[in-house]
Amino acid sequence: MKEIHYVMIKSMLVVSIGLTGCVNVAPWERGNLAKPQMALDPHPLQSEIQSHNYSSREAAPSHKSSTGGGGCGCY
Amino acid sequence: MPKHHGSYHSTSDLKESPIKPKKTLQALTSAALVLPGLLLTSAHAADKDRINFQYSRYQEGERNLFGVPNNLKPISADVLHGSGSLSLTDRTKFFYSYTQDTWSGATPITIAPLAANSNNPVLRDNPFGGTTIVGASPLINRTVQLDHDLNPLRQDPRTGQITGQDSRSVMVLSSASPETRNQGNFGLSREWNEAAVNVGGGFSMERDYKSSFGSIGGRLDFNQKLTSLKFGSGYTHSEIGAILDHDASPYITKTAYARQIERKGGSEILRGDRQDWTANIGLTQILTKSALVDVSVGYTHSNGFMENPYKVMSVIFIDPVALNNNLATPISGDMRALIEQRPNIRNQLAFNTKYIQYIAPFDAALHLNYKFTLDDWGVNTNTFDANWVQPFGNEWTFTPRIRYYSQDAASFYQPYLFSRQTVQMNKFDAGKLPDNFSSDHRLAGFGALSGGATLNRRLSKGVNLEAGFEYYTRASAMQIGGGGGNSFADFDYYVASAALKLDMEGVDTSRPGAGNSSHNQHSAAHHQHRIPPAGIMFGHMLDKPGDFMMGYRLMLGRADGHMMHGSHKVSDPVIVEQGCSDTSPCRFTPTYMNMRMHMLDIMYAPTKWWNVMLMPTFMDMDMNLRRLNKAPPPVPGVHEHQGIAGHETGAVGDTYFSSLIKLISIPGHRVHMNLGFSAPTGKVDIELRRMAKVDGGLIHFGMQLGSGTWDFMPSLTYTGEKNRWSWGAQVSGVKRLEEKNKSGYRLGDLAQATTWGGYDLTRWLIASVRGAYTWQGAVQRDFDSFNARIGPMDFPANYGGQFWDIGLGMSAVIPGGRFAGNRLGFEWIQPVRNDFNGYQLDRKGMLSATWSYRF
Repeated sequence: MKEIHYVMIKSMLVVSIGLTGCVNVAPWERGNLAKPQMALDPHPLQSEIQSHNYSSREAAPSHKSSTGGGGCGCY
Repeated sequence: MPKHHGSYHSTSDLKESPIKPKKTLQALTSAALVLPGLLLTSAHAADKDRINFQYSRYQEGERNLFGVPNNLKPISADVLHGSGSLSLTDRTKFFYSYTQDTWSGATPITIAPLAANSNNPVLRDNPFGGTTIVGASPLINRTVQLDHDLNPLRQDPRTGQITGQDSRSVMVLSSASPETRNQGNFGLSREWNEAAVNVGGGFSMERDYKSSFGSIGGRLDFNQKLTSLKFGSGYTHSEIGAILDHDASPYITKTAYARQIERKGGSEILRGDRQDWTANIGLTQILTKSALVDVSVGYTHSNGFMENPYKVMSVIFIDPVALNNNLATPISGDMRALIEQRPNIRNQLAFNTKYIQYIAPFDAALHLNYKFTLDDWGVNTNTFDANWVQPFGNEWTFTPRIRYYSQDAASFYQPYLFSRQTVQMNKFDAGKLPDNFSSDHRLAGFGALSGGATLNRRLSKGVNLEAGFEYYTRASAMQIGGGGGNSFADFDYYVASAALKLDMEGVDTSRPGAGNSSHNQHSAAHHQHRIPPAGIMFGHMLDKPGDFMMGYRLMLGRADGHMMHGSHKVSDPVIVEQGCSDTSPCRFTPTYMNMRMHMLDIMYAPTKWWNVMLMPTFMDMDMNLRRLNKAPPPVPGVHEHQGIAGHETGAVGDTYFSSLIKLISIPGHRVHMNLGFSAPTGKVDIELRRMAKVDGGLIHFGMQLGSGTWDFMPSLTYTGEKNRWSWGAQVSGVKRLEEKNKSGYRLGDLAQATTWGGYDLTRWLIASVRGAYTWQGAVQRDFDSFNARIGPMDFPANYGGQFWDIGLGMSAVIPGGRFAGNRLGFEWIQPVRNDFNGYQLDRKGMLSATWSYRF
């Protein structure tokens, strides 16, 4: 199981890094990418709530942890 | 907040402009406008400034106690959130957020065999016959009957006879009084053409858990901005000072933490600290003109005290002699509760992948996320989620969402433990126990499925409304690779939220020169009529039909120092004798009380003589108590306040709405009338938890969050101004429109008269002095259900009085620059004379702070 994960993750990284060299989308072709629905996080206020609730109920590291944060959420 | 808000408004603004560009041009322009920020995940770009207010409620379903009667309330949390980003220069932004959450309800403290009957219903005889369930009390030290294979055996409660094997486990619940957490985050970001950096920091404060944190991060764009590299790192330091449950503490084995426990004021405080370091790196890559991918890797190293200090492990001690004796059946297990022991180090790795595809036929976007994490506690997790972001026209966006999560159990997770040794005089050989153990169900193996939706509505003038809902269900059986075998811990919750998001459109000065003339108009318009001091409510009106004003008001009040009777200090023995009732003398008195009220002022002018207002409020309060000198000794069965912990409450308060009508408006003089109402949205049935086998009952009148009744709140305001001087007066009142609220009482009516004078120190800064007289009646009627009656604050006559106050204030209208048009006000209210009804804690004053902005 673990090995499959590693392979998946590594291959995703390799593919994505590889893509950087071959993709070419000109600035005038990026209209769709600029739409609000294409934002990496279209609803940040919701993400914040979800992240807080998941981290108080699950053992996975919070995906917001890189920006710092604290509190016990001990309930 | 992510910067992508900017893109939303850029495109929308274009669509709204009177000259509609052709589609291609629109796409091109919008792309050009937002590209610098397209690939960022965090909030720091050259988009418009924004302020957000959000309220959310978390509500859990009931836990499965296998039919044990109880009236425990499931956990719920009320969360208030405010955040914003403001441009300091064209490329520098300041961002902040503030979150306050208050939670209460019953929380699991351990897991035990069901046969141990650890969840003990608390019954009370009714005066009219029969019994009522009034609570459930955890029994964590029990004798458990076992067979030779260590299967728990069920006993008939009356005859004591063994009725058979019962291998089910159950969570043991304990109720909690409300607790509040406050968190503040601040940061700065700086943007260049192909790079950005950001620094941030903040704190989180709870009574038992304090942390502070800092972070630094950045972004580099390559390859004509088709590729962005992101990186960041952060550090968090946390201090734990957990006040151990006064009731449970005598039954908890704490030997492993003897050196970390401090005794203070009758409480035991378990102290510890922990540190967390995080680092992450990620890449965002545009794949095609309709798709992009975002991958990142995060590493977290934590060390120190990572236990939950309130969770205990049920350890069943078995006499090895009895176990080896085949004739001895059943075997008695001696179940004890030990504070859990987690490893002091944890290393976690997280891999995130996100793929976003534009779906042209629907003008929608599909977001697919996968996250895998692993750590050295053995907790590997998988998360899949999918969002469909569907705009409808220019104003609505609907986003349904689904998520699946699965985690493996931590290597040291066990529902409960067996140890083959006997406990003699509370002593045992700790070396025979595992180094680490926890029965926290969050470290068990399980799966969870959740789904929900977000709805966004864009109103005119940069005002957006957002509503969200999510339902979450945890199931042991949904764990990847087989059920976790802990279905007794399954539960569900829902979260509902509502948010108001404001774009500071008038403040946009990103194009030099473009905004200057409008700013001047703004400041002139705002300066036309002075706003009354910050402590005055309903004190001004909007003049232009269609105008919209958004404001935030913070009020901080404190009572502290001596106990007062009328206008004089009183001694403890007098309070004991006279402060409560003839039949029950006072035993406790408050030492201090803090009240914080957050209020949104949303104001709209349908016509120039008529304005409407909506003011939702959010309250939180804390109070500490002390035992009175010469108080009668504790009586068994009567509530006693124990230890050093105070009381906290907090959540939504009452909601005000009103109509303001302009009566006179001539140069230099204005009069308006306010017809306001207060809707009883604040709770008036908050209870203290059961302590020492005695119910806490309803918390004091003054700590409930609302009036509980519909109230009429009229006021009449006069304002005048000449040259640099301004002045005004207001009379206002509160009349309760109902006999009693759902807890049986009614707050006293209120009347206030106030007058003030102001002087323009500069063109934009006003100083003010104000005098106020307030009369408030005592609480009418009384609680109609149990209240512990421990001190003056539990008796209706000890509320209200007459108060004379002086207010000193400053208010400012920012005249130009980036924040032009924002109004800020502060006022300190200093009590000068008080005439309290009954026995009350002295008032120390109140700070009012307001911000408002007209759109």
